Amino acid sequence: MDDNWTDRLGRRDDETEPTWGGRGPPSLFLQLPSNQTLRLRGNKAVDWGAAWEGASEPTVDPQELIPEFVPGEEEEDSKPLKELPLSLAEKRKLRALQEQAASRLTGWDLWRVEKQRTLRRLRNQAGNAFSYAEMWRSSLHHIGGHFGTGIQSYFNFLRFLVLMNFVASLLVVGFVVAPNAAFESLHLNWTSQHNNSSVNESCLRYDPSPKGLVSYFSYIMNLLSGQGFMELTYLFYGYYQNSAVDFVGFSYNVPLAYLLTVFFYLLFCLAWIVRRSVYCLKRSLVSEDASFGSYSDKVFAGWDFGLMQEKMVKLRHRSIRYELKMDLEEAALRKHQAEQTTSQRVCLYALRGLVNVIVLGLLGASFYCIYRATDYSQWLQGKEDSPVKGQFFLKLLVAYLPSVVITLANLIVPIISESIVRLEKYPLSFEIKITLLRNVFLRIASLVVVLVSLWGQITCNGDLENADCRNCGYNNTLYLCWETAVGQEMYKLMIFDLLIMLLVVMFVEFPRKMLVTFLPSCPLLKLWGQQEFMVPSNVLDLVYGQTLCWTGALFCPLLPVLNTIKYIAVFYLKKLTLFSNCRPADRTFRASSSNFFFLLVLLLGLIISCVPALYSMFVIHPSEACGPFRGEPAMWNTVSSAISELPKMARNFFRFVGSLAFAVPLFLLLSILMFYLKALADSYSSVVKGLKGQLRLEGQDKLFLVKQISELSQ
Amino acid sequence: MGNKQTIFTDEQLDAYQDCSFFTRKEILRLHERYHELAPHIVPMDYTRNPDVKVPKQLIINMPELMENPFKERIVHSFSEDEEGSLSFNDFVDMFSALSETAPRELKAVYAFKVYDFNTDNFICKSDLEQTLNKLTKEDLTEEEITLVCEKVIEEADMDADGKLGFADFENMISKAPDFLR
Repeated sequence: MDDNWTDRLGRRDDETEPTWGGRGPPSLFLQLPSNQTLRLRGNKAVDWGAAWEGASEPTVDPQELIPEFVPGEEEEDSKPLKELPLSLAEKRKLRALQEQAASRLTGWDLWRVEKQRTLRRLRNQAGNAFSYAEMWRSSLHHIGGHFGTGIQSYFNFLRFLVLMNFVASLLVVGFVVAPNAAFESLHLNWTSQHNNSSVNESCLRYDPSPKGLVSYFSYIMNLLSGQGFMELTYLFYGYYQNSAVDFVGFSYNVPLAYLLTVFFYLLFCLAWIVRRSVYCLKRSLVSEDASFGSYSDKVFAGWDFGLMQEKMVKLRHRSIRYELKMDLEEAALRKHQAEQTTSQRVCLYALRGLVNVIVLGLLGASFYCIYRATDYSQWLQGKEDSPVKGQFFLKLLVAYLPSVVITLANLIVPIISESIVRLEKYPLSFEIKITLLRNVFLRIASLVVVLVSLWGQITCNGDLENADCRNCGYNNTLYLCWETAVGQEMYKLMIFDLLIMLLVVMFVEFPRKMLVTFLPSCPLLKLWGQQEFMVPSNVLDLVYGQTLCWTGALFCPLLPVLNTIKYIAVFYLKKLTLFSNCRPADRTFRASSSNFFFLLVLLLGLIISCVPALYSMFVIHPSEACGPFRGEPAMWNTVSSAISELPKMARNFFRFVGSLAFAVPLFLLLSILMFYLKALADSYSSVVKGLKGQLRLEGQDKLFLVKQISELSQ
Repeated sequence: MGNKQTIFTDEQLDAYQDCSFFTRKEILRLHERYHELAPHIVPMDYTRNPDVKVPKQLIINMPELMENPFKERIVHSFSEDEEGSLSFNDFVDMFSALSETAPRELKAVYAFKVYDFNTDNFICKSDLEQTLNKLTKEDLTEEEITLVCEKVIEEADMDADGKLGFADFENMISKAPDFLR
């Protein structure tokens, strides 16, 4: 479409240019019904018409536009008064008329009208109160006014994550941590639900409490790496017990509560994200034939009417200019590329292939490094007589080795890929998208690599007949309590993430700002410039942190709580760095089109983090020595045994729902529904195309007829 | 706060609340701002609906509007007379339409008026050129401006009359997700 717009333009000039030139359309146009819609502001109609001589002004009675207030009719479909495009004085007149009509009513109708009015007022007030109670509302306004809606969307996203984590942590604490703590302090009767008799003795060894004289440093070390005394707290899986508690008449089954809580936590997050992304999708849906105008969007919706500061306004002007220039350049580039010869095109594709290979190679190398680092770190920590025992810093380094390697990879690889993506000569918008996609892949995949290497170690690479794994079903020599180990890894990654953010702000952004402010003449610094707040990479950081939280939730129940605190800290940290160190980007970030993309990436993270949880629930043998599932062959067994204790009807229902006889027909039904909806969407789009063509023809008809009539009447 | 204010009758405040997107407190604050613009013209007592208009020059110097490139057009769209002066009713109306809670359809009507520089009920090419100049502070070349205008008209014009009527504009705005501000 972009390629032949010049041709179409030429044609249009000949055919449809109104022949009355610059004088303006004849007065007949003003009388057409389609023109009436705008003549709604009191006396203004007179002003507009006065330009055309001999124009007759049909006065439009605004009251005709509002359905007359008829008692007994449904008032819900008439627009509320405040949404009418009339002047306020007219609206007040209308309101007076409505009141008069209302006062003529009696009895039932009067009561109904009064009820509706009070209900509407209450709803408005509730809406107002709710928006005042919104968290951080004034901060977000402040940020939006200074830096625009693009950066505000990042903080909006962050607020959404904080709220989601907070509600989820309430869920977890309410059903898992609080009952356990309460039962323990109340010294209630715990009835153990498993029998240890058939289990190998060596699997039952587990005592993480620090023995002997413990140095002060080791407490800090334990706090940072989640080992030692931290393992015996509610933070980690290992502390919970496999028992039911008799409480006020019923028995609170701790392992069942644990499992179901984690399950519902993931489901709840899924539901909230899907709901929010559907809402975003509705707002940013592109039309069927992809004629969504990027130009008209920029021109008409480009100005942010909320901006007030002069500096920001100048920047906004500059960024609109920059965007339009970029778009024009991109159009020119596309035209140029379409005119290339075959040999040039082959050259370009070969270059692109080479760059993709390089990027894939880089990614592969970093994944391999992460894998080896995780392996080495876990092995070294699991050894009884490790060479770093007793040396504080080395131990810490070994514990954090995977996190360090992941962070290094996430820093280096994007820089390299961004610099070589220029060689691929993509149009700018596509370049940004592909860089973003590569970053997303890098982040999510590095977490997957960590999980895979952990899995390899826990299950002896899937080989359960291996000497290490034969006794207990998991690698007993390395892990006395493997779930806690996984939880510790997630905990460490999370802490390191926050630490890195803090360090980057303190040691990279602040000094950069200082240098640029106090040494303005240095050419190198001028080239480097002040920090820009890059929204996509910051959002990816958030998504990565949230994925960590979801992955670790099964093994470390208090992780959502910690995540909430972490994200609150991140909000204030980022706000501080935004106002002190950053200048707005040259290319303003379009909030709406990316909101959906961020939610999509978040959803991807959720799906990926569900896989380890589900795999551990169904396949891997739980630790024998710790945790609420000790003695069970798999975590899911608690649920099946609980179901078998239900009454017969419920049991049969659950059995049916879980069986293939239910799943396969459901899947078929959903596929049929999806095909039907797709067919419906296709038919709608062809109808719209037809209607658009018809509209075009009608417009031309109208022009032709008006021309004829005015010629005839002269 | 209380009910001790004497600027408006309760009846008037109810009317304002029903006809705009503001609450009582906000309307009183708006009156305060309106009064600050021209303290010698605007009376403190509005119970008798005085017919007072503040000239355009004072309004476009308000901090909220000062940096807006479309400030004159906005004020003209809400004004009842040719010079662009606003009565208090128009003032409330203007900020109500610009507020966050106003729906998209209402904003589209007024946005069309704002962008229609020659007030002929169509956004023609010259209107677009003026819009672009205001947006980019006249920093694009002639050729670039023409190119962008052609593209915009081509994208949004549905009945192919070479300019944008209100229906075209509204259709295009409904697809533009960033419009609400």
